[in-house]
Amino acid sequence: MTEDTANSNRLILWLFNPFRFVAGFHALLIGLAIILISGLIGSFSNTHFDGLLDVHTGAAKPLWFFLAEGLIDWMCMTVLLIIFGFIISRSSFRIIDVIGTQALARWPYLITALAMLPNANRRVLEYILSKVTQAAPAVTINPADVFVFGFAMILLLLMTIWMVALMYRAYAVSCNIKGARAVVTFIVSVILAEALSLLLIRAFLVSL
Amino acid sequence: MKVLPTTCPACSSQLNVKSLICEQCQTEIQGQYELPLLARLPTDDEDFVLEFIKASGSLKEMAKLLGLSYPTVRNRLDEIIERIKLTEKDGNEGKEKKL
Repeated sequence: MTEDTANSNRLILWLFNPFRFVAGFHALLIGLAIILISGLIGSFSNTHFDGLLDVHTGAAKPLWFFLAEGLIDWMCMTVLLIIFGFIISRSSFRIIDVIGTQALARWPYLITALAMLPNANRRVLEYILSKVTQAAPAVTINPADVFVFGFAMILLLLMTIWMVALMYRAYAVSCNIKGARAVVTFIVSVILAEALSLLLIRAFLVSL
Repeated sequence: MKVLPTTCPACSSQLNVKSLICEQCQTEIQGQYELPLLARLPTDDEDFVLEFIKASGSLKEMAKLLGLSYPTVRNRLDEIIERIKLTEKDGNEGKEKKL
């Protein structure tokens, strides 16, 4: 194997399975920083990560609100995966690895937060909303806005798929679970975590 | 040095040692000797076990040494444990068949 091939293989592994190289406390520190920075960047464009896989442009809120949303999403998924890990894993595993790798797995949403920054997204969304509600459009949009919005939406879709793939890899590596049992429990966890995070964010944050 | 074959290329059964030779005086011993359990593992696994022992059985140390994360190393160890159990089981079943 040439050095170039080895380097590109390692790069692919870092992109799609970084948990092969980093887990535990290191992953937790990096992941936590990413979650908080994503929340901070999201706050600039009022982009809410208001559910495990949700990204919505919404009302202006204080910074802590955006940060708390990201933390709730991460914790809901982590707690469920730890429970499933204890039930079905035949290996002993460290909770810190599940917590850390799940935090790191959310890094594609940092790119999503950046993609949602341009004002063009807000203008196009307001325009679409006015069309749906049949109100007179309060904003005008140009082709460049539509292009930026389209690009952001494609990126959002790709980053969501990537994040889910990373969350699965993180679960498989940190709990040493493979095959159908891993896939089924992961899908169940995603569904439950999505519902739980939505519920918690609406019940505790929105009501404040 | 050549890699020690542990399974039969024709039927994939466990190979045994038929003869041993002293390199010093060329004394040759012939018989039917079973390979030790560790020698029956694939070379990669054998190397891992040796490194693991040299790291005083510390998975953290192994992770540092191999540049891998702790769970990746622990999962590798779990795989080797499974393989050892399977090899032991196959060996016992083989003996029972002979009897």
